[in-house]
Amino acid sequence: MAYEPQFYPGNTIIAENRRKHMSGNLEKLREISDEDLTLVLGHRAPGSDYPSTHPPLAEMGEPECSIRELVEPTEGAKAGDRVRYVQFADSMYNAPATPYFRAYYAAIKFRGVDPGTLSGRQVVEARERDMEKLAKESLETEISCPALSGLRGATVHGHSLRLQEDGVMFDMLDRRRLENGTIIMDKDQVGRPLDKKVDLGKPMSEEEAAKRTTIYRVDNVAFRDDDEAVEWVHRVWETRTEYGFQPKVYND
Amino acid sequence: MTTDRERKFKKQLEIKFTKEFGDNKQDGGSITDKANKYHRLGVDQDPRKREMKEAGQKIAKERGLVGYNPMMHCGGIPLGQRAITPSFVSGTDIMVEPDDLHYVNNAAMQQMWDDIRRTCVVGLDMAHETLEKRLGIEVTPETINHYLEVLNHALPGGAVVQEYMVETHPALVDDCYVKVFTGDDDLADEIDDQFLIDINKEFPEEQAEQLKESIGKTTWQAAHIPTVVSRTTDGGQTSRWIAMQVGMSFISAYNMCAGEAAVADLSYAAKHAAVVSMGDMLPARRARAPNEPGGLTFGHLSDIVQTSRITPEDPANIALEVVGAGCMLYDQIWLGSYMSGGVGFTQYATAAYTNNILDDNLYYDIDYINDKYDGAANTGTDNKIKPTIDVIKDIGTESTIYGLENYEKYPTALEDHFGGSQRATVMSAAAGAATAIATGHGNAGLSAWYLSMYLHKEAHGRLGFFGYDLQDQCGATNVFSYQSDEGAPVELRGPNYPNYAMNVGHQGGYAAITSAAHAGRGDAFALNPLLKICFADDLLPFDFTQPRKEFGRGAIREFSPAGERSLIIPAK
Repeated sequence: MAYEPQFYPGNTIIAENRRKHMSGNLEKLREISDEDLTLVLGHRAPGSDYPSTHPPLAEMGEPECSIRELVEPTEGAKAGDRVRYVQFADSMYNAPATPYFRAYYAAIKFRGVDPGTLSGRQVVEARERDMEKLAKESLETEISCPALSGLRGATVHGHSLRLQEDGVMFDMLDRRRLENGTIIMDKDQVGRPLDKKVDLGKPMSEEEAAKRTTIYRVDNVAFRDDDEAVEWVHRVWETRTEYGFQPKVYND
Repeated sequence: MTTDRERKFKKQLEIKFTKEFGDNKQDGGSITDKANKYHRLGVDQDPRKREMKEAGQKIAKERGLVGYNPMMHCGGIPLGQRAITPSFVSGTDIMVEPDDLHYVNNAAMQQMWDDIRRTCVVGLDMAHETLEKRLGIEVTPETINHYLEVLNHALPGGAVVQEYMVETHPALVDDCYVKVFTGDDDLADEIDDQFLIDINKEFPEEQAEQLKESIGKTTWQAAHIPTVVSRTTDGGQTSRWIAMQVGMSFISAYNMCAGEAAVADLSYAAKHAAVVSMGDMLPARRARAPNEPGGLTFGHLSDIVQTSRITPEDPANIALEVVGAGCMLYDQIWLGSYMSGGVGFTQYATAAYTNNILDDNLYYDIDYINDKYDGAANTGTDNKIKPTIDVIKDIGTESTIYGLENYEKYPTALEDHFGGSQRATVMSAAAGAATAIATGHGNAGLSAWYLSMYLHKEAHGRLGFFGYDLQDQCGATNVFSYQSDEGAPVELRGPNYPNYAMNVGHQGGYAAITSAAHAGRGDAFALNPLLKICFADDLLPFDFTQPRKEFGRGAIREFSPAGERSLIIPAK
C-alpha cells in the first residue's frame, strides 16, 4: 500500500485546512502576472535578467562529489541566482495562513528553501527564481487573502492588531489598500513606491476567511474543541518529558 | 469554572484603548471591537514623544550635530501610525508612557539592579573565630557593635588606619552601609538596632522561624557598596570593595597590627570563604564577573524580591512581583543590553507586568485550582497536589486555553501584546506559576511552561521568533532530567543555563515559577535564606517588596535613586 502522508491531526475544518496547506494541494483563486510579482517583490526590475552570484553550475567544473550527484540542483541554483526572500505577515483575524503553516508548506513542497518563522511574519529565502515560484503560488492560491495577508519585507507590524475599518490588516507603511473592492499595492515589500498600482485581487469575505483559515479562534473554531489536535499536543509534550526523565537509565 | 468573569485587565484596557491619551484620538468603542480607525498621527500625538522630539532638536542646535529625529524612522514615516497608548503597571494604578519603562528612562529600574549588583553577604563567624582562637582577642556584642560603627565609616570610603588618606565624600556615597543579621536571638538582642536586620520583626512568625532554623546561630553582614562605585566598575568589584574595608575595619576595631599574618585569614574570609555573591561568575564565552545578572540564579532573584514576607497569603502576587523584577532585569538589562545591545527588549518584557493581563490569567488559574483541587492554590503544605503528568497537563492546558481565548475575545489585549513572544511569555508564565503554586514544585511549573508553549504554537500557528521557539521545543526534555549536564532544579537554573542564555521573554517567567513553588508552600525563601534576609531592609533605595510599583514610580519620575553626582558637577 502506498504511503499517504497524514500531515496533521485534528477533526475540525482548521485541521483540514492545515493538512491542505502542508500538502500543497491548494486552490487557485486569483492571477498575478510575472511583471506584477517582480514589482511587488522589489528585488529586480521587471524583465531584467536574474543577477547571479556565480556562473551556471554547468560551467563551474564542480569537483566530483557523491552528494552533488545525488541531489539535482534547483533551477535557480543551476543558474547561479542570488538568494532572495519573500516574506508574509498574516492577520490573526482569520487570514488563511499562519506562519508555521507557511513554513511547512514551503519546506514540504519546495526544494532549496530556507523558511524562517516568527509570530508576525514568515520569510522564505531561496534562489531568486525558485523563490518567485513559491511567492507566485502563495499570492495566487487560497494560502493568502490580499486583505488579511501582507507581503512585507520590513516593518511587518500588524498581524495582531485590530483590522482597519475596511477590513484590511493594518500596515504601518501603508503598502496596500482597498480600492473599488480590490486590494491594490503601490509600494514594494520594503515600502519603496511603485510606478503603478498592482492589483492583488479581491479580499475574502469574513465567512470565506473563517472557512479557509488555519488559526483556531474561539469566535470561529476554538482550539479546545479540536480534541484530537489537543490530544496530539499532549502526547508530544508527554513523550518528550518522559524521554528526558529516563528513569530506566538508573534502573538498568 | 466560568470563563465569563470580570477580567482584571478590563479597566486598564478601556482607559488605554477607548479613552484619548495626549492627542491620540482613541476615544470610544469597546475593548472587544475587532476593527479600529487608525489616524496615523505620528509622534506629535504623544506627550513624551513630543518632549523627546523637542529635546532632540535642542541638542542638535546646541552641539551642532544632529541626533534624535523621529522622521528618521522608516524613511520619513514616524512612529505613531497606530495610536501611541499608555500602559498601567500591573498591580498598581500607575499609568505610564511606554518609553518610560525603558530602563534608561527609569531610575527605579536602574536602582533595582544597582542595589543587587552592589550587595554581598559576608559571614562574620569565620572572622570572629580567627580573632578569638588565633589571636586570643575577645569578641563580644560590644566589640561587634564597635566594629560595625567603624565599618559603616570605612565601607563608603572613610579612612580608619592610615594617615593622610584620600576619602570619598559622604554625600556621594550615602547609600553605602552594612547591617548584620543572625539566627541567634540572644545576640540579636545585643546588637544596636541601627545595625540589625531583625528577622523576628521583618518576617511573619512562621517565616522567621524557618529562616532562623536555616541559618542557625550564624551571623552575617549585609553589605552594600556605593552605587556610584558599582556603576563605575562592575559586579566583581562588590566583594573586593567590601573585603578591603572589612579588613581595615577589623584592624581598626580590634587594634590589630596592619599586616600581621592573621589579617590574611580575615581577608580570605571576606573575599572568598565567607562571601556570598548575588550572581556567579560566568564562563569565558560570556565572561562576566560575579554579581552580574547572567550569574544570578532564579532562586536568588526569588529571594531578593521581598513580597513573600508582605503578602504570604497571596502566592500569585508574590510570583507576579518576581515576574516584574525578573523581566526587567533579565530581559531589559541582561539580554537587552549586556548580551544583545538592543533597545527594543523593553517591549517584550513589559508585557508581563503591564495592564494586568498576566495577573488576570494567573488569578483565574488560582480560582480554577482551588475549585478543582480543593484549595491547593492557597498557601500551605498540606493542601498541595502531587505533581503528576496528569495534574500538570490539566492546569497547564486550562491556563493556556484561557489565556489564548482572552486574546481572541479581547482584540485590544491581543493588540497590547502585539508580538507572539509577549503572549507566549505571559501564557506560559501563568501556566507555570499556577502549576508551581498548586504543587509546590518548581520543576512541575516549568513543565507546564513548556506544555503551554506547545499548545500556544499549535493553536495560533505561531509562537515567538526562531530562537525563542527553539528553546521551548527543547525545554520539555530537560525539565525532569537527572543527568547533570541536562537538568537542574529550577531554583538553581539561571540566565546562563543551557538554552536559556539566548532568548528574551523567558527568564522572568522562570524566576516567577521558582518563587511560585515556594510561595505556594508558604516557604520563607526559595533557595538562599541569607539573601532573603539581606534584602529585608527598608533602608535600601529600591523597595524590593513591590518592584512593579517602584518601576511605576520610576516611570512617572517620582523615584529618587542613589549615586547621583550633582554635588560634584556644575548646577544646570
